[in-house]
Amino acid sequence: MMSLTRRRLLHATLGAAVLPAAGAPQARPLIDVNVSLGHWPYRRLPLDEPAALAARLVALGFDEAWAGSFEGLLHRDLASVNARLAAACRPLDGLRLRAFGSVNPLLPDWAEDLRRCAIEHRMPGIRLHPNHHGYNLTHPSFAPLLHLAAEFGLIVQLVVSTEDTRTQHPLTRVADVDLRPLPDLLRQEPESRVLLLNHRPQALPPEMAGLPNLFFDIARTEGTDGVARLVSLAGPERVLFGSHAPFLIPEAALIRVEEGLLAGLPEEAADSLLFTNARRLLHA
Amino acid sequence: MPAAPPAWSPLPPSGVLARYEIWDSYLTQERGAATVPTIEALLPLVERAALKKLCYFADVGLGTASPAIEAWVSTHPDQIDEPLRRWPELMLGMIQLNARDVPRSLVALDRWLRDGPMVGVYFPGSAPAGLPCTHPDVARLVERVAELGGSIMMHTWYKTGEAGPPHGSTPSDLAELAARFPGQTFICAHAGGNWELGLRAVHELPNVVVETSGFDATAGFLEMAVRELGAERVVFGSHLPSRSLGTELGKILFAGLDENQKRLVLGGNFRRLLRRA
Repeated sequence: MMSLTRRRLLHATLGAAVLPAAGAPQARPLIDVNVSLGHWPYRRLPLDEPAALAARLVALGFDEAWAGSFEGLLHRDLASVNARLAAACRPLDGLRLRAFGSVNPLLPDWAEDLRRCAIEHRMPGIRLHPNHHGYNLTHPSFAPLLHLAAEFGLIVQLVVSTEDTRTQHPLTRVADVDLRPLPDLLRQEPESRVLLLNHRPQALPPEMAGLPNLFFDIARTEGTDGVARLVSLAGPERVLFGSHAPFLIPEAALIRVEEGLLAGLPEEAADSLLFTNARRLLHA
Repeated sequence: MPAAPPAWSPLPPSGVLARYEIWDSYLTQERGAATVPTIEALLPLVERAALKKLCYFADVGLGTASPAIEAWVSTHPDQIDEPLRRWPELMLGMIQLNARDVPRSLVALDRWLRDGPMVGVYFPGSAPAGLPCTHPDVARLVERVAELGGSIMMHTWYKTGEAGPPHGSTPSDLAELAARFPGQTFICAHAGGNWELGLRAVHELPNVVVETSGFDATAGFLEMAVRELGAERVVFGSHLPSRSLGTELGKILFAGLDENQKRLVLGGNFRRLLRRA
């Protein structure tokens, strides 16, 4: 349970009205599969210090978050980015941070970055930024990367978008990742586990909906029925909670799950999304 | 009575939210025949979030919608203000204007704003009726709205890579227009989307307030808006149902504002603006 000192601090920051009551029942802790450490390259964010982010997530009932690094977007010395990330991912204020290092298959010796993530840092997965790194999923290195990640047993977080294309900095505009090649790749690599982050599925093609090794977060799933619709298309076991904090406020995605209940999302499916699916994916 | 909220949800209970007296300035319900059904479908969420008022933007036959919707409106004119009749305690309405058709828009202003029941006008930001608000024909309509004491919601966006939407306005366009009408308050819908730019563009215009919906729940927006404009110049919009309540209400509830600032943003400012209008 949150300490009184921290609760007072959060009351001062958030206002008493929006905090859960002290001691509010929280049957099981939540996992956020989509947070980032480091500084967003284009502005400071209210929760961009790890301690502030951890305090907020713990106050919301999380005990674990899967963290990438904003440095992974633009840095080319990804080995040092990932080493810093691994060092930063220590238990913080009651929050367990699991590091997901960045790998860029266009960089020479990318396989070594991946190996270090798996072996030296013992990360559970890696995070890919195809749009910021400038490749599409048909690039000759992408399938080998998926294969190697599967061999190491790594979850692959594939960031479909980091920011709305309409609001990006004009000098670093990138389109959302084109996912059309993914179904074939995942069928060829059935041991791989790919988790799409920040995907905005207006409609999910049947070939993506039916892939058992493809997972989705809800950080940018919009509309009052967006979460309910995604779960109905993808299946209740393949949608995970991700917030894209601190770029987005973490409460937004959490409230969206409650909206899903009002839109017909079964309670058991919400329960899987919030509590079960991330653990199942981690230990698959 | 709504069921108790789940323990994991950070959305405060309805009773707590009711204290904010939330008025939503920006609904994006389906249009034409689908207007009433989509509002009806939102009611459980409206009750859960304790939204006291919703403001919709009615097509009144000026060519602001698709041909199919325009045809439906022309054969069902009695349905234009049906949401106001069906939910009189909940709904507010503004009419969508077409600055590409000034004569008919002026007639519609008399019909719907002068004679009621609408409280203001909405200038769309896309085809077929959108027009940059620096165009003289927009000013002609603004003059009449000001005479009638209506509120003005102006769709605005700065889209990266576009000089300006061909059918719409940027906050810079709105600032130019607002400077010509210092006695008229304008609502800068979506704060320009690229809010770091939008807030700067309207900063010097005290008769421009920004509306909060239509973009992701990007952290830091409300803090910058209140810092640069003051809490009195920010109004809440939900963008329901195409956006989620988590995104739009969350932006305000979980920003670094004090309770008084949140009350202003969530309803106090919009109420004051409508009273003044």
